[in-house]
Amino acid sequence: MPGKDFLALMLKAGFHRASLKSYTGFNSSPYTEGALFYGEKPLDERLRRDIETQAEHLAEPTKVECAPVGT
Amino acid sequence: MKGELTEGDRRSIREGIRGKYAQVAAAGAGCCFKYPTGQEAMRLQGYPADILATIPEEVLASFCGVGNPFSLGPIHPGEAVLDLGCGAGVDSLVAVRMTGPEGRVVGLDVTAEMIAKARANLEGLGLPNVSFQVGDAESLPFPDHDFEVIISNGVLNLTLNKEKALREAYRVLKPGGRFLVADMILTSELPPDLADKISNWYQ
Repeated sequence: MPGKDFLALMLKAGFHRASLKSYTGFNSSPYTEGALFYGEKPLDERLRRDIETQAEHLAEPTKVECAPVGT
Repeated sequence: MKGELTEGDRRSIREGIRGKYAQVAAAGAGCCFKYPTGQEAMRLQGYPADILATIPEEVLASFCGVGNPFSLGPIHPGEAVLDLGCGAGVDSLVAVRMTGPEGRVVGLDVTAEMIAKARANLEGLGLPNVSFQVGDAESLPFPDHDFEVIISNGVLNLTLNKEKALREAYRVLKPGGRFLVADMILTSELPPDLADKISNWYQ
């Protein structure tokens, strides 16, 4: 598979910052070469889950009665 | 392969790959690859010399990776690492030197003979936080969000359904997790007489 097709599949799977970083110089044939790919699972998913978790634990804020104060 | 694979093609490819790597497990990495293998290959790819010095030479001789996935970024102490297609487990043993005793390294490979070799390589090293198991990249036997890092070295090109394997890798990574891959890719069009050969999958 060409590198650009592999990168496209990484992106389709959800990885971000997906890139072909470099070639390794190891070849298994005249038509192939070793390559290094990097990808990350987005942090947003964690942030979204954290926010959802926090929202589950949020208590209704206590209402404070404000008494008028004199001047 | 330009056309759709038949079920028979798929079976032939799986059997060919397993057969080749069973041979590698029995005869050693030097038997079957057109690129350098073993400790010399690891030196050429820039694996850290201080880590290589902690791994027995006969274990390093099993290395048949196509690059150095560790060159793509650090692995931190305490992290959980999946070595996808671990073969004889050399990269797993490198990874555990980076995670330290608080980390966890799991090596997964589709070839039972390779996992047996990886377990033999692990024996006597006193690394209880490394384990090896047989499994398929297209159906990972792990829960969602299980690993901070996945490393893979020369494996995904052998996977029949790469899209499924990548989706599985994504699933088992924790959010923010890193995917560090060395793999063989096509750099030019295969000539027509080679393009449809099943044996291209495991040469």
